[in-house]
Amino acid sequence: MLFPTLGFLLFFLIVAAAMAVLDTRFAAKKAVLVIASYYFYAQWDWRFCFLLAASSVLSYLAGQLIDAAPDQRRRQTILGIAVALHLGLLGFFKYFDFFVSSANQLARLLGLEHELPFIEILLPVGISFFTFHGISYITDVYRGDVAVCRNPLDMLLYMSFFPQLVAGPIVRAAYFLPQLARPSAEPIPIGPALLLILVGLFKKVVIANYVATGLVDPVFSAPTSYGGPDLLLATYGYAVQIYCDFSAYSDMAIALAALLGFRFPANFNQPYRAQRLREFWQRWHISLSTWLRDYLYKPLGGNREGRLKTYRNLLLTMLLGGLWHGAAWKFIAWGALHGGGLAVERMLEPWIGRRALTPAAKIIATLVVFHFVCLAWIFFRAEDFAMASLYIGGLASGWGGGLQQAGPLVVALIALGLAGQFTPDALFDRAAIAFARVPSWGLGATAGIVVALINALGPEGVAPFIYFRF
Amino acid sequence: MVALERELKETPQPVAAPTTADAIPLALRRRGASARQVLAMTIVGVLALALLASRDLPSWVGRLGDGPVAERAQTLATEWDDAMERFGLTRPHEALRAWISWALDVRW
Repeated sequence: MLFPTLGFLLFFLIVAAAMAVLDTRFAAKKAVLVIASYYFYAQWDWRFCFLLAASSVLSYLAGQLIDAAPDQRRRQTILGIAVALHLGLLGFFKYFDFFVSSANQLARLLGLEHELPFIEILLPVGISFFTFHGISYITDVYRGDVAVCRNPLDMLLYMSFFPQLVAGPIVRAAYFLPQLARPSAEPIPIGPALLLILVGLFKKVVIANYVATGLVDPVFSAPTSYGGPDLLLATYGYAVQIYCDFSAYSDMAIALAALLGFRFPANFNQPYRAQRLREFWQRWHISLSTWLRDYLYKPLGGNREGRLKTYRNLLLTMLLGGLWHGAAWKFIAWGALHGGGLAVERMLEPWIGRRALTPAAKIIATLVVFHFVCLAWIFFRAEDFAMASLYIGGLASGWGGGLQQAGPLVVALIALGLAGQFTPDALFDRAAIAFARVPSWGLGATAGIVVALINALGPEGVAPFIYFRF
Repeated sequence: MVALERELKETPQPVAAPTTADAIPLALRRRGASARQVLAMTIVGVLALALLASRDLPSWVGRLGDGPVAERAQTLATEWDDAMERFGLTRPHEALRAWISWALDVRW
């Protein structure tokens, strides 16, 4: 069940009705949200619900055992086992066939005839996200950053809450569990939430969809058939497409959670305006980059053990971040580029870090970072590593002809997507405040009309969000 | 003392404050609505969509499945769309669809 569909709207209508009827009965509201979340998840495949429940029970029990353990050594052992079980589940579903294929290749090289069978495992949607939720909860309990969750209902809801279940943002236990301890005294921010939904819908249904079908998909599937201008524009197009697709999902998740009375953390903040690669990661998929920082980079030693180990830790963190997206060389290359870029930036810190940039230097820095990120996106989007190499080869050579694939509309949508990176924050705030002054029936009518217009502008049917497959 | 200890255990407080910023900042959360107003907004939104986006309704209902109930729903959705067409409410949808398909075909 995708957010921008009529089916989801009806589902949300029922959930909103239940929240209104239950009003002050907070425990009942949480129970309804758990049932709704499992129903939402079952729309992909009902069998996945057992996996989600198992992951929740594992996290809950591990938290209890860590809290009750009499000494540090036992706490550490329980943490290790629980994290290994979580990663084992993730690894089995995500990497099993990759390991079988690699083992079979190795066996052939060694002249062995026996081959391991493939199982063709169906990847459960959102498994990475609920695994990250579970690991962050257990680790935070171990570190003493969050109190152990004693209410099983709270744990079930933390792990399954439908707005963030399949593609994030990754909401930490320390952030979300206190919201489940008692009902929020704040009013529901209906104006900003509605604005986020409308902006998110436009980004996904109009910009991401048309840029993908009109330019990115055809060019990336046959890069040798196109010249440099199309290849370059498709690279910019993919940068816009993945931003509009993924940030749209986050916008809608944040808004839906807000309409149900919960706060979510920010996940995107105009990433392509970054002047440093490090700043890009402070603006892009913030919940994942901070997760990687706190549960991988810092445990590896972070920047505490000298310069060389800092570079190594940056590289390792981004390599594993790349591998998380899938077992393929192209993702490893994407992670290596970002890790290497961050390490080089850190190396140059004494020269570039302390100087205030002139306006011209800021523009140059933004352009350099944007193009570096675009280069990495080529590996991320290409079918495989070899195709990415062909693509980059094409960019470096064939500049004879003009644009073949992209029409003016697609170019305008790419420009609009990039322009959105530089709008002042106050613009959204002012619009959200204006929205908040409109009565709820007026907001409903406005939303209905705008959604109908966006729906008419978009293609029939909505493509799944890019991050569902991770 | 035992009761106090139990109470302390049953009302957990996070030890460390979360460092992540809220997506909707506090300044924008001051004005708001109740769960009932959210429901009212959603109902009005669904009605507005039913009036203005009826063109997509039959195909959406068609994807719900087979059987007598689905067939009846499909007939109702088609009748509803025809009614909206008679009132002229499908015109904005059709005009926008025609414009976007023209805009997609425009070449340099």
